[in-house]
Amino acid sequence: MTQLNIPIESTTLPNGLRVVISPDRTAPVATVGVYYNIGFRIEPRGRSGFAHLFEHMMFQGSANAGKMVHIKLINSSGGVLNGSTHYDVTNYYESVPSNALERVLWLEADRMRALKVDDENLRNQRDVVKEEVRVNVLNQPYGGFPWLDLPPIAYRNWSNAHNFYGDFDDLDAATLDDVQKFFKTYYAPSNAVLLILGDVDTDESIQLAERHFASIPSGPQPSPADIDEPPQLGERRGVVEEKFGTLPGVAIGYQSPRRLTPDWHAAAMLDQALHGGRAGRVYRRLVLEQQIAVDAEGGIHYPVGDLFDYNGPTLMVTRILHKPEYSVDQTIAAYDQIIDEMKEKGITAGELEPIKVKFRSNYFSMLEGGHGASIPRYGLMHLLACFSLFDNDPNLVNTILGGFMEVTPEAVQSVAHKLLTHHNRSIAIRQPAKKGAA
Amino acid sequence: MASAPRSESPSAVPPLTPARPVIWPPRVHKTLSNGLEVVLVESHTIPKFTGELFFRSGNAVTAAKAPGLADMTATVARTGTQKRTSREIEEDLRRMGSDLSSGAGADTSVISFAGLVDFSNDLLGLVSELAQQASFPADEFERERRQLIEGLRIERTTPGFLASERLRRVLFGAHPYGTISPTEEQVTGYRIEQLKEYYQHYYRPGNALLVMVGDFAPQTMMAQIEKIFGSWASGAVEPAPDPALPEVQGRRVYLVHLPDSVQTQIVIGNRAITRKHPDWLRLTLANSIYGGAFNSRLVMNIREQKGYTYSPRSGAHPLRQHGYFSIGAAVRNDVVAATLTEIFYEIDRMRSTPVGEEELDDARNYLTGIFSLGLATQDGLAGQLATSTLEKLPDDYLETYRERVLKLTSADVLDAAQKYFDSAHAQIVIVGDRAQIESQAALFGAPEVYDAQGNRI
Repeated sequence: MTQLNIPIESTTLPNGLRVVISPDRTAPVATVGVYYNIGFRIEPRGRSGFAHLFEHMMFQGSANAGKMVHIKLINSSGGVLNGSTHYDVTNYYESVPSNALERVLWLEADRMRALKVDDENLRNQRDVVKEEVRVNVLNQPYGGFPWLDLPPIAYRNWSNAHNFYGDFDDLDAATLDDVQKFFKTYYAPSNAVLLILGDVDTDESIQLAERHFASIPSGPQPSPADIDEPPQLGERRGVVEEKFGTLPGVAIGYQSPRRLTPDWHAAAMLDQALHGGRAGRVYRRLVLEQQIAVDAEGGIHYPVGDLFDYNGPTLMVTRILHKPEYSVDQTIAAYDQIIDEMKEKGITAGELEPIKVKFRSNYFSMLEGGHGASIPRYGLMHLLACFSLFDNDPNLVNTILGGFMEVTPEAVQSVAHKLLTHHNRSIAIRQPAKKGAA
Repeated sequence: MASAPRSESPSAVPPLTPARPVIWPPRVHKTLSNGLEVVLVESHTIPKFTGELFFRSGNAVTAAKAPGLADMTATVARTGTQKRTSREIEEDLRRMGSDLSSGAGADTSVISFAGLVDFSNDLLGLVSELAQQASFPADEFERERRQLIEGLRIERTTPGFLASERLRRVLFGAHPYGTISPTEEQVTGYRIEQLKEYYQHYYRPGNALLVMVGDFAPQTMMAQIEKIFGSWASGAVEPAPDPALPEVQGRRVYLVHLPDSVQTQIVIGNRAITRKHPDWLRLTLANSIYGGAFNSRLVMNIREQKGYTYSPRSGAHPLRQHGYFSIGAAVRNDVVAATLTEIFYEIDRMRSTPVGEEELDDARNYLTGIFSLGLATQDGLAGQLATSTLEKLPDDYLETYRERVLKLTSADVLDAAQKYFDSAHAQIVIVGDRAQIESQAALFGAPEVYDAQGNRI
């Protein structure tokens, strides 16, 4: 049951655009995505937050579809649309009744061909993005904890370490020229993959893709960015003030293995043993048994990504909110006991087998939804895109489970020894602001 | 390749092709002899199934004695049964590749679950055990109580929560719907006997609805369910109280002071209607045009034109006995008054000017289209099924939904806006740093000011 048979057809257009089709005619709806091989990790220096600001600009108008036309055409066709910026990819996607398929492809092709935006659009979206940062980070308890706290502590290469949502000064400094330059550098068809899923015919979809995308001029491949990190030689720690929330927070991140390596498969099982919900060791020990924490969760590339959607340095993160009567050191000591036990005693087959069952079950759910129920097959689209752009093999969707199911208890213990060391980790502490009598 | 029409030129928007029929999959609906209502739908997208066991009672029935008690009962019910400890429950769930959660809102309590179909019998067995034989261990209760109290303290620093809390209090007063969260003192006052009493009284098959969607044969699954749940003893349950609502007169302003806020959370609302009301679809469509979709008027105005906010939205919220309409936006501190002006401008435009044919058509397509998207996943189907069965809507509610939306007219939208977008009596709540926003708020009425604990200041 680890070899799946999801139908996948893929091809590459002469301009370098990869196209992946996965039909499923259960319901009369289609999901379309365009993924660009550019995320916030390698946005330009002095322009923190730019990859995300740029994503907003992609909704501001293209050659034949001016501002608001994208949104209006998709909504009025009965569909929904959005985009999101990740570490290593940026996506644009639509779910629509399948009779709107060609319209969606036309819109995506139009903005891949030519972005048509002005200063007014840029000012407008800069304001919108600042409110996005305020509502998600600056004006929320535990905003950005730990996804914005850990990188500057854990990393030395600016690409991995900077503020991905953007310093406001950097957002203010962004120009229309930056926008067009970024578009030229990273948004060429050869740096992208088009995904068409759901109630579609494979041959017809490929012909539609050719019709709308084949004439987009190819561009040069962006030169590979340096995202390497110097070896970490000791534990790193940092403290960030928590302006609103009442509980102290601790986040611990260990440098994780590269994708698709044997260590990666084993680390995924290790991660589930530690962070697999209420049965996972971290939640069970810290929240349910010792009751030091009121919440504890985590994962590889958590919380703004997952096991499958990174292509560079990342962390296996545990995020803990603990009771104020315990100190940070006591909390970390209790956490370290869990880690030491894993390293010393490892994991039995009796614990690992259920973890594999749960992993497989989670994988199916991710394929079908993965984004609430609002974007059918978002997860399948996301996996196909990452396997295409990072690994050049969308069919991994059907075979990837095998490597996880073969992981042995010995491999889990061995990878625990390798990863879960003090010199391989970084700790971010969220300290509630001292306030006067409340 | 035949069916795709060729667009005339690269600059022309391709037309929609003929739509495939939207067919709601058949469902098997049965009420067992003990009163348990069961609705099943097959969906073979993945080898899993998803389900919800609802009880048609929630926090509203305990509001007078112990607000939030239904939620606490649901939380503790998953921490132990007469046969399993908390740890065994969690490890059994993992062994079955399953997820399970429990909770309660104002009108319902629910155990939600999903898992691999290979383990459906075992998982349903566990759900049945949680529904009938929860043991309410004292130590689990105390742990959950402390976690809830810490959670409440954090909620009181969350602008969105504070805004919703104040709006609901203003719209519904002492009615159970006027309270969305208990106080620390109330939680401290919960006694485990109260949880057990609630559980014994309301977790009954005659008060329950089991909705399941997944990769199974419905008839076989129904037999399995009868075997597992058939012996559950029946019991009568009284409806929730529905005390009088406060009179909401005139446009009023409420300011919740959250020091050091770098943004202001605005929420504006009116009481409205339930999903059973004949105007429900009209209101839904009017909402979609006003602020319920990305391309709605409100989003275009205060986001895409003015850049005041990231995610402004409006919504019609149906509860069982009443409903309300609300508009929300988190905006930068210096445009609070400007945003309120635009929100009311767009409301009054909806109330005074009929919507044109194109905009109407777009909105009808939007509502019928997103309905279709729900059919593509097990969660989507389960959500629609729960909506239609929980409140006992007509049997053909889902089958006829799209055609009923397509029949709505511009006059229907105007009518709904005039009735339910009641700008003259709209209640305005703003949450932020008082010094930065109070003078702006005062332009719309003298604000009543509260602190984050809910005390008048």
